[in-house]
Amino acid sequence: MSRDSDAPPAPVAFGRWAVPLLAEQLRLPGRDVRLRALAALIDVLRQPLRGPEALTEGFLQQLKVLLEDEDPCVRAKVCQLLHVLAAHTCGRQALLAASFLPPLSQLLEDPPCRRTVFLLLSRLSLHSSGRVSLLTLLPKLMKKLQEEEEEEEDEVQVLFLSLLRCCFQADPEAALRSDAVALLAPKLSNGALNICKAAAAAMMALSVPMGGKVEVCDQKVLPAVAALLQEEDEEAQLNATGVIMFAAVTTAGKLQCLHLNVLPVLLKLACDRHEDEDMRRRRKPLVMNSVRGLTMLAETPEGRRLLQDQLPLLRRTSEEEEDVDIQRVFETAIQVVTFTP
Amino acid sequence: MQQKHGNIMRDPRVFRGIASSQPLKFAVSPVLFMSLSEEPTTRAVGPKQVRRKLRARTPEAVQGRKHVNVQTESYLEELSDIPEVKETECQTDAFLDRPETPIFLAAKTGKDAATQIYEGDLFDFEEEVQPILEILVGKTLEQSLLEVMEEEELAALMAQQRAFLERRNNELPEVHRLQEQERRRREERERRMAEQRRALEEEQEVAEKIAARALTQQQLADLVPSVLASLRREGYFYDPVERDVETHFFPRLMDDVESILQKNCRARELLDGQTLCFICWSLWFGNLVCFWFSNLECGCECCSSDLFVGQRGLTT
Repeated sequence: MSRDSDAPPAPVAFGRWAVPLLAEQLRLPGRDVRLRALAALIDVLRQPLRGPEALTEGFLQQLKVLLEDEDPCVRAKVCQLLHVLAAHTCGRQALLAASFLPPLSQLLEDPPCRRTVFLLLSRLSLHSSGRVSLLTLLPKLMKKLQEEEEEEEDEVQVLFLSLLRCCFQADPEAALRSDAVALLAPKLSNGALNICKAAAAAMMALSVPMGGKVEVCDQKVLPAVAALLQEEDEEAQLNATGVIMFAAVTTAGKLQCLHLNVLPVLLKLACDRHEDEDMRRRRKPLVMNSVRGLTMLAETPEGRRLLQDQLPLLRRTSEEEEDVDIQRVFETAIQVVTFTP
Repeated sequence: MQQKHGNIMRDPRVFRGIASSQPLKFAVSPVLFMSLSEEPTTRAVGPKQVRRKLRARTPEAVQGRKHVNVQTESYLEELSDIPEVKETECQTDAFLDRPETPIFLAAKTGKDAATQIYEGDLFDFEEEVQPILEILVGKTLEQSLLEVMEEEELAALMAQQRAFLERRNNELPEVHRLQEQERRRREERERRMAEQRRALEEEQEVAEKIAARALTQQQLADLVPSVLASLRREGYFYDPVERDVETHFFPRLMDDVESILQKNCRARELLDGQTLCFICWSLWFGNLVCFWFSNLECGCECCSSDLFVGQRGLTT
């Protein structure tokens, strides 16, 4: 991470006095002194085993006070420092225990700190307790989603959407209650591919519960998802097939998907063979998602009819496949296609 | 030549007495003195002090002459009052420290041996630098390894999350699909069962209706004649002329009869009343003449009836 301000870092004492002395300097009134001390702290705490030295109660309280400082540079630096601290497990736990989330949620509106705060929150979400705590931020994030401006950079948007995805995975019901599907739908047809991908991932998380599936079908999200399916990017295809796979469980979803002519695309994705081992391993989730989508669609009469024509291709692909999981999924699909009441 | 040492107490050169009393006499050199007193000492007579006093002295100088001491030795000696004094001083150094005792060094025994150190004997750079280099390189590697491990830890956490999500995404749609299928089938089954039940119910209803109809028809077969009979009995089938005569003519007739009879009755009552009135009036006339007159004017009916009743009360 580059240093935004051009102040050289403060001199660092040796050994175990480094952090306490720098912490003392943080209490001094001058802005420059604090900036320099923060820069020095970031350098010190980035070294491998020195991060947890700073996890004393007083220091964290001090950082919390500094998060509400008037100077944006100071706030940005404190966020960077917290990001460095969150690289360790004990750091993450300490941050969660010291209830840093309310001041951090205030900083989400602050332009210089936003990106760092998102990175920090995504690191915090690596813990299950972190994800649960992040759910407290959910109302604020939903509000932010509602009033999203277009001038933000793509990276920040992508980070924001991935954070939303974590929250949705933890508790999709709460998100659905706040109309998440309707708010997220415009993002799917947004310009940049990254944003579409991240939005599709979030939508996939939302469409896991039944209510979500119903809403996805109601809100006419599937056309945008089908458009995303045509992209060349693997992750975009993966997320799109995921959404389709979950949404096609309901009858309405199935019919919409058939109507959008998704079946041939899924078939192509599922039966596309690659010789390269790595490529195949990378594409495994994509193949599985596509085949599951096909299975869902094969439960409709029309889908079954279309797939019965393609049955030899499916059988052949299933036999050629070495991976046990994919074989099992193919077999399920074939079972559903050849089902007779 | 060994000189005889005189007694220091009897030595004439040693001045006795106060320094300011007498001038010094010529000091006699010890050689002269000894030579003078060499021979007589062997033949000393009497105590020494007496001998000294009685010693023969040089006769006094002739007038105009003075005795002068003359040296007749071969070498002249300068005589002066002031004795040749040579001063020598001897003084120890002031506060001279006692020098330290020299260290006891044992007498050297054994053979001497010599040695010479050349370049590279004591210090070999290549060897010495190795451990330092090892530490430097090792610490750098360790730090970098730790940093890489930290990054890997984070990446592993994220990969674990992703793997979990993948596994979840593998199983979850299947579960949902099967759940949905189950739900559809269950609903279909229930719908069909409900339909079947409804059909059964309808059938049963129809059968019951048919049975009921048959029963009622059977029961109601001889209902109509009995109904008609009872109706006739009740009088619902009537002759209209007869009914008309009964309902309209007879009441009127009876009313007229009643009125005539009532008139007769009334006339009789009036007569009775009048008779009684006259009787009472003759009895009560004395006291209440005016009152009864006024009452009489308003109408014979009311006063007579009052009176009549009163009298009736009295009499009965």
